Amino acid sequence: MNKRFVKSLTLLLVLGLFLTGCNFSGNSSEKTEGNATDASSEKSGDKTISLSVENDIPDLNQVTTTDSISFSILNNVMEGLYRLDKDNKPEPAMAKDVDISEDKLTYTFTLRDGIKWSNGDPVTAEDFKYSWLRAMHPDTAGAYYNILSDYIKGAAAFADGTGKAEDVAIEVKDDKTLVVELEKPTPYFLGLTAFVTYFPLNKKFVEEQGDNFGLAKDAILYNGPYVLTDYDQAKGVTFEKNKEYWDNDNVDVEKIDLKVIKEQGTALNLYEAGELDRVNLASSDVNEYKDSPEFGTNVNFRSYYIQFNLGNESINNDNIRKALQLAYDPKVLEEVILNNGSEAAYGLIAPGMTGPNDQSFREAQGPVIKPDAAKAKELWEKGVEELGKAPELELLTADDSVSKDTGTFLQSEYKKNLGIEISLVTKPYSGRLQAMRDDKFQMVVSAWGADYNDPMTYMNLWVTPERAFRGHYASDKYDALVNGARDEADETKRMEMFMEAERVMLEEDAILGPLYYQGMAYLQKENVKNLVFHPYGASWDYKYATVE
Amino acid sequence: MKKYVSIRLFNIIVTLLIIATATFFLMKQLPGSPFNEEKLADLSEEARQEFYAKYGLDEPLLTQYGIYLQKLMTGDLGESFYYKGQSVNGIISDRIGPSALLGTQAVLLGLTIGLILGVIAAFRHNSIWDFTTMLVAVLGVSIPNFVFAALLQYFVGLKWGILPVAFWESYQSSILPTISLSLIVIALIARFARNEMLEVLQQDYMVTARAKGLSTTSIIFKHALRNALIPIVTILGPIAVSLLTGSLVIENIFGVPGIGSLFVDSIKVNDYSTIMGITIFYSAFFVLTMLVVDLLYGVIDPRIRLADEKR
Repeated sequence: MNKRFVKSLTLLLVLGLFLTGCNFSGNSSEKTEGNATDASSEKSGDKTISLSVENDIPDLNQVTTTDSISFSILNNVMEGLYRLDKDNKPEPAMAKDVDISEDKLTYTFTLRDGIKWSNGDPVTAEDFKYSWLRAMHPDTAGAYYNILSDYIKGAAAFADGTGKAEDVAIEVKDDKTLVVELEKPTPYFLGLTAFVTYFPLNKKFVEEQGDNFGLAKDAILYNGPYVLTDYDQAKGVTFEKNKEYWDNDNVDVEKIDLKVIKEQGTALNLYEAGELDRVNLASSDVNEYKDSPEFGTNVNFRSYYIQFNLGNESINNDNIRKALQLAYDPKVLEEVILNNGSEAAYGLIAPGMTGPNDQSFREAQGPVIKPDAAKAKELWEKGVEELGKAPELELLTADDSVSKDTGTFLQSEYKKNLGIEISLVTKPYSGRLQAMRDDKFQMVVSAWGADYNDPMTYMNLWVTPERAFRGHYASDKYDALVNGARDEADETKRMEMFMEAERVMLEEDAILGPLYYQGMAYLQKENVKNLVFHPYGASWDYKYATVE
Repeated sequence: MKKYVSIRLFNIIVTLLIIATATFFLMKQLPGSPFNEEKLADLSEEARQEFYAKYGLDEPLLTQYGIYLQKLMTGDLGESFYYKGQSVNGIISDRIGPSALLGTQAVLLGLTIGLILGVIAAFRHNSIWDFTTMLVAVLGVSIPNFVFAALLQYFVGLKWGILPVAFWESYQSSILPTISLSLIVIALIARFARNEMLEVLQQDYMVTARAKGLSTTSIIFKHALRNALIPIVTILGPIAVSLLTGSLVIENIFGVPGIGSLFVDSIKVNDYSTIMGITIFYSAFFVLTMLVVDLLYGVIDPRIRLADEKR
C-alpha cells in the first residue's frame, strides 16, 4: 500500500508538470536563441518593432483604466476626433475638420469619410456621444470622468447624478456631424479630444460584450492604426496593422511586440541581445552609454517640487520659505544626483508646454526662481528673528530611491548654505499622499503630471478652497488670475495671466520650491525612427514609427 | 487515520480563518487606496467618499469584513480593484501555471542533485567529493539566487546565446529560472542528506546489512536513504511551498508572468481583494502541504504513528 501511495504521488507530480506547462504562448516553435545580428536583420525584413513596459497591463477598458501603460496601448489601437502629431499638436483624425464658433464655445466636428471599426462597421457621430455619456454616467464612469464633465456644457450635473443626459450639450446632427458646446472657452479642447476618455465606442459591441469588454483582444473593437492580436496582462500585447484604418497607407510598421519586463537590468540585456529595440536606462547606466549614438532623453510634463505647508507655524513665514527656496541649485540635483534625463526646474510649468504666440510657456516666462545661497542665508536670519527662534524643520519624501536621494541632497544643501539641520521622514508613496491630506507635514517633495497641454492643468491645483494637500495656499490675487484665465477668450492675455500667476505663487508667496522636470534616458536602435513620445496623457504613439 | 485527518482539516480551517482576519485588518491599515490617489487628492472629502462608495469601500470595516467572509465561504475571492472587472480566482489561476512549473522543476532538480551529492559525500566522507559537495552547499546557501540568476542570464543568455535571456515563450524559457531556483534546494538537500546519511551509516543495522552481504546499492537505497529521508521531507515541505507559489525576484529577472510578482504588485497598488486572495491561497497551500508531509512520515517510517487507533 505504501509503495502504491508513493507511486501515485509521483504520477501526480509528473501529471502536474505537464498540466502547468501549457501556459506558453502559441509561438513556441519560433526560435528563441538571442543572437544579436540574426534578430535585428530578421526584424528589418518584416518591419517589426519590439518594445517593453515595466509593469503589468491591468485593463484596456478606456473608460475605467487609469494607468499610463494602458493609456499608451489604447492610444495606438483607438483614435479620437483628433490625434496628437509628432510635435504634440492636435491634428484631425476621426474628424476631417472642425468649425469653432466666434465665442469659442461651440465646436462642430465633421467626421472623415470611410472611417471604420475593425469589424467593418462605420464609425459615426453617435459612437462618440455614446462613449462620452458612458464615461460620465455615475454607474459606468471611471476616475477620469471629469476630463469630459469639466468642459462640456451640462455635463457636470449629469456626472454627479443630478442632471439628465438630454441636457448634456453633445448633439448628433447626422452620422457625420457632431456638435459640442462647452461651458467656457477652452483653447486646448482639441487636444483633449485626442485623449483616451474621448475615444468613441460602438454601442452594439459594448453591450454584446457586457462585463467582458476590454478584457481580451477580441473584446475590444478597434478604430486606430493598429489592432491587438495578442493580449496577456502579465506578458504583454502584440499590435498588428489595422486593415480598416483610414490612414493605413501611412502606417509603416507591420507588427509591434510590447512585452512586460519589470527588471531594468533584464530589459537592458534583452536590448543588447537584439530582442528589444528600445530600453529605458537606470541612472547608474547612463554614464556608460552617454556617448552612444543610440542614447537619448525625453522630458515629461511632470514637475517635482518642494511643497511648503502654510498651515505650519514655522513654515508660515515668508522669509523662511524664500530662504529654503533659494538655498539649493536644482542644476546640481540634475547633474549629480538624478543623471537620468531629468531637467533642473526653476519654475513650475514643464518645458515644452504650450505658451503665448507659438512660444512655449517656459521660453516666454524664463526662470522664476534664481538660486542664491548668500541671499538665502540673509532671508533665513531675518525669518529666524521674526519667529523669535530657529524653527525645527522636517522634510517628507516618498521612499523610492529617487525621492530619498532628493531629500538627502536638500538636507546637505541646507546644511551647507543655511547652516541648519533638517530631518528627513520617508513614507511609502501612498503614505506620503495620506500624510499630506491629513495635514501632517511641514515640507514635502511632491509632484504633478499634466493631464493636458495647458498651464491650467497645474494652476488649477492651488485655487481655493484651501486644502492641506496643497499646503493651505489661499491667495485672492492668485485666484483672480487663474479664474480670470479660465474665462478669458483672448489667448495672449490668458497666457499672461498664467505667467503672472506662476510668478505670484513662486516668487511672491514662495509656496513651492521647484526641483526638476522628470525625464528618462533611453537607448534606441538606430534603424527604428519616429517612435513618438508625448510628454503628457497617453505617452506613446507608434503610428508614425518607421523601420529602416 | 481518518480521525486524525479530519481533526487536522478542522484545524486548517481555523488557521485559515485567523490568517484571513489578521491580513484583512492589517491590510486596511495600509495608507492609500487601490486608486490613483494623486488624481483623487484634489476632490473634496465627500466626492472622494462617493468614489470609494462605488467600490463598497465606504462601509465600516466590520461590515466590509463580514461581506468578504461571506463571499469567501462560497469560494469567491472577489473582484480585483486594479485588474478591473476580473475575478481574483481567475487571475490566480492564470498566474499560478508558470510559477508552479518553475517550482516543481526546481524542487525535482534540486532534490535529485542534492540527494546524489549528499549521498556521495557521506559515502566518501572526508574525501575531495565530500569537500566539493560542502562547498557547493555553502555557496548555494550564501549566494542570493538573484545574483546567480543575473549571472546565468548574462552569460548563458546574452554572451553565449544558448538559452533565452528572458520572456516566457517556449519551454527553453523555463530552464534558466528553474536552475536559479534550484540552487538553494540543492544546497539544503545536499547538506541534510549528507549529515543524515552519516548518522544512519553508523547505526548497528547498517553493520547487519553489510554482514548479510547485501550489495552497496541495496544498502544505500533500501536501508540508509529511507531512514535519512525523514528530516529531508520535513524541510522539503516549506521549500516546495515557497517555490511553487513563485519567487518575485526570479520571476521579474526572467520576465515570467507568475504569481510571485503579482503578489508584490498587488500590495504596491493596494489591490485589497488580490492581496487577500493570494494570502489565503498561499496559506491554504502551505497548511495542506504540511499535512501531506506529516502523512508522508508514516509512509517513510512505519514506526511513526499518526493516530493511536492501532494500539
